[in-house]
Amino acid sequence: MKLTATLIAAALAAPAFAQDKPAAEAPSWHGGKPPAMAESTLHPFAPHMTGRAAKDLPLNTLKVPAGFKVEAWVDGIPEARSLALGDNGTVFVSNRNAKNVYAVIDKGGKREVKTILKGLDSPNGIVFNKGTLYVAERGRILRYDGIEGKLDNPGEPKVVVDKLDPNRQAGHFWKYLAMGPDGKLYFNIGAPGNIVMPTYMEASIMRVDPNKGTLETVAQGVRNSVGIAFNPKNKDVWFTNHGRDWAGNDVPNDTLHRVPIKSTVPNFGYPFCHQGNVQDPDYGKYHSCAEFAKPALLLGAHIAPLGLKFYNGKMFPAEYQNNIFIAMHGSWNREIKQGYNVMRVKVDEKGNASRPEPFLTGFLQDEKADPPMWGRPVDILVLKDGSMLVSDDYNGVIYRITHGK
Amino acid sequence: MGRPQLENAATFLAAFLFLISAPPARAADPNLCAACHGENGNSANPAVPSLAQQPAQFISTALFMFREGNRKDPQMSPMAEKLSNAEMNELAAYFSKQKADAPKHKSKQENAAAGPGLAKKFNCSQCHGPQLLGQQHIPRIAGQQYEYVLAQLKAFKAQTRADIDGNMTSAAQRLSPQEIEVLADYLAGLGAQ
Repeated sequence: MKLTATLIAAALAAPAFAQDKPAAEAPSWHGGKPPAMAESTLHPFAPHMTGRAAKDLPLNTLKVPAGFKVEAWVDGIPEARSLALGDNGTVFVSNRNAKNVYAVIDKGGKREVKTILKGLDSPNGIVFNKGTLYVAERGRILRYDGIEGKLDNPGEPKVVVDKLDPNRQAGHFWKYLAMGPDGKLYFNIGAPGNIVMPTYMEASIMRVDPNKGTLETVAQGVRNSVGIAFNPKNKDVWFTNHGRDWAGNDVPNDTLHRVPIKSTVPNFGYPFCHQGNVQDPDYGKYHSCAEFAKPALLLGAHIAPLGLKFYNGKMFPAEYQNNIFIAMHGSWNREIKQGYNVMRVKVDEKGNASRPEPFLTGFLQDEKADPPMWGRPVDILVLKDGSMLVSDDYNGVIYRITHGK
Repeated sequence: MGRPQLENAATFLAAFLFLISAPPARAADPNLCAACHGENGNSANPAVPSLAQQPAQFISTALFMFREGNRKDPQMSPMAEKLSNAEMNELAAYFSKQKADAPKHKSKQENAAAGPGLAKKFNCSQCHGPQLLGQQHIPRIAGQQYEYVLAQLKAFKAQTRADIDGNMTSAAQRLSPQEIEVLADYLAGLGAQ
């Protein structure tokens, strides 16, 4: 029995090692680079894969509005990506380049970090609902039922849906995962490269019934989303999207999108049209922007909006109720860097969004330096007491923002 | 090849003896690394890379990849297996602060002349920096050991050497075996100042 389990474990681990044979073609982020930019030294920033200790970071440069406080909540979680909250207060943390899922248990001022899942295939997406932790790998969505009762031995997962990455996409293969008010799991399937013609199902937002495994398309023409949330007041689906690279320092914008939960499937234009009104230099000739749905908000070029959350906790002042908070991972494909912060967006009674304003800043040190920042926000989680966690994959640190006292 | 391999075995044995004879040494003791990588991380063995003056993030990322199995090496994998993330960071910080010695390797005159052109043509300086001193997770290759650079470039081209972002594997595809020789000889003799 034990041997069988070992064999199964070995078989499951095999694909993760198989991917270690590197591909000969250029990494997908080089795609769409015009000849004039061939010698550009712009490059994505690699995270510190061993993490960095919070005590070694310039935490005193972080800024939040008056009355708020920010501190390092836990460190030592290399490449901390998405966040999820268990019913018993367990904070789950995912990886993108690495292969683990972690659990953080708050023991009254001291945090214990456990590696609960290992050897997964880019397990970027996680969400907790009714006792179950759902994990989105690049090709599958898994469910670990009753997870908080067995953190030391979560057992084998059940598969919600498989074959989401049949071509082993070169780029944007990581998934974000969110639980909708309709009980369905929402996730992205990114475009397989910077600017390429997507195949069926790629460049979309999808949802799946976690009990039946049936799929529906929510939105198309979405280059890559790494953040999905729902307006608690009217159930609108909101998601972030990254515009294409190598088309200029200021175009196109990264965008925020809004789709009613019951809606025909909007198409936001990728790869033909960006930000609702910019024809793509390569693909723009095939379709006009006039054919496509428009984003709710332009967020800035290359600013890289990732996780977003509606705030409905008890701790922040009343004016913050139902505001959207967005983690900006920060630009790399831009001469003068921007982002590397958490922005706040107010949503009015009609559900429309206002201009973003900075909420957590200070990671960006020198907008012309390489690297320009010392940390990069990825995802946001509101704890039961109304305080807010922000993950940072560059350092493997999670910060906590509180108000008052 | 016989001689360096022997030396390699000898230094490995030295490291091994150090391991078993030393009092419960911490796995993160830089002296353990020095047995093969040389005093202060300045390697005296053409097959073993120098760690001195390498960017800290490059060293910690390399150790991480050995421990996690992305990179495999009969000597490095077992060494990295014992190290925690914090210990990897400690070693990375230590060796990044050591000064690189002037290279003992003397490049052939024609390779020293052809090197800078090749380094530009094949985008080496685009990521490794104008002086090829490395940055962030990208190593210093100026003054790196000849046989080591040769072996890495060949392995990148053969798609058997994992790199964290796929850049080197793709960059090495365009290199001919002869260009790999020229680059390795040029880089090994290049000062890291």
